[in-house]
Amino acid sequence: MILDGWFFTGATIGALSAVICIIATIFRNYPADSSVLSLAAVELYLAVYAVYALLSPIPLNGPGWEFWGYIFTAMILPPIAFFWGITDKTRWSNLVMAAVGPTVLVMIHRLQVIWHG
Amino acid sequence: MAETTGRTTGVGRIIVMVYAILALAASWRSGFQLLSKFDEAPVAFILSGFSGLVYIIATFALATRGRRAWQIAHLAVWFELLGVIIVGAWSLLTPEVFPEPTVWSTFGIGYGFIPLVLPIIGLYWLYKHPPKPLT
Repeated sequence: MILDGWFFTGATIGALSAVICIIATIFRNYPADSSVLSLAAVELYLAVYAVYALLSPIPLNGPGWEFWGYIFTAMILPPIAFFWGITDKTRWSNLVMAAVGPTVLVMIHRLQVIWHG
Repeated sequence: MAETTGRTTGVGRIIVMVYAILALAASWRSGFQLLSKFDEAPVAFILSGFSGLVYIIATFALATRGRRAWQIAHLAVWFELLGVIIVGAWSLLTPEVFPEPTVWSTFGIGYGFIPLVLPIIGLYWLYKHPPKPLT
């Protein structure tokens, strides 16, 4: 199933992260802890998802290379946004970090399609 | 607002971030397509790979200060805007050349039209922050 609990959990974390970062952009003129923590939550979710994919008995439907490439790409996004976001400590650091959540949301959907589609 | 001045600071950093995401998405996907199923749609995959490369160049050029970086970014962003318009129209007129989706197919519909919108924002940003005139 593509739209299972794993998808909705990840989608919620991604969407929440974006909302938190956007709110932080409005109210904080420096990189907010809440933005950074929301990125950490996204990264943690991806790590758990990757372990689950590795151990799960459900076989991959699509090419493994593509699947793990997506996981890898998704997992390097939060660190990139974090380091790029905090090198210039302004209000906009938060909006830089806001870009991760929606991207990861789309990528989780794609991962689910490769896996279960 | 003082914090928005300068091409590579403030809001400019968000443009770089979105470019970096698009560069990653486009390059790794096209790399995968080029290596695994090149024969299925050679034209589409070569274009895809090339566009990914230009996105990487644009990302670094946009993130770097200085006149030379501005010029490279300017060229790369224009290339992307023309690319998405030409390939977008081309993919609609002759879909048989593009049996597999690329970043630029149907004006970037597979990527939420970000490939179409981003170069316009990028050009606006570049023209708003031109390099200092040579004196």
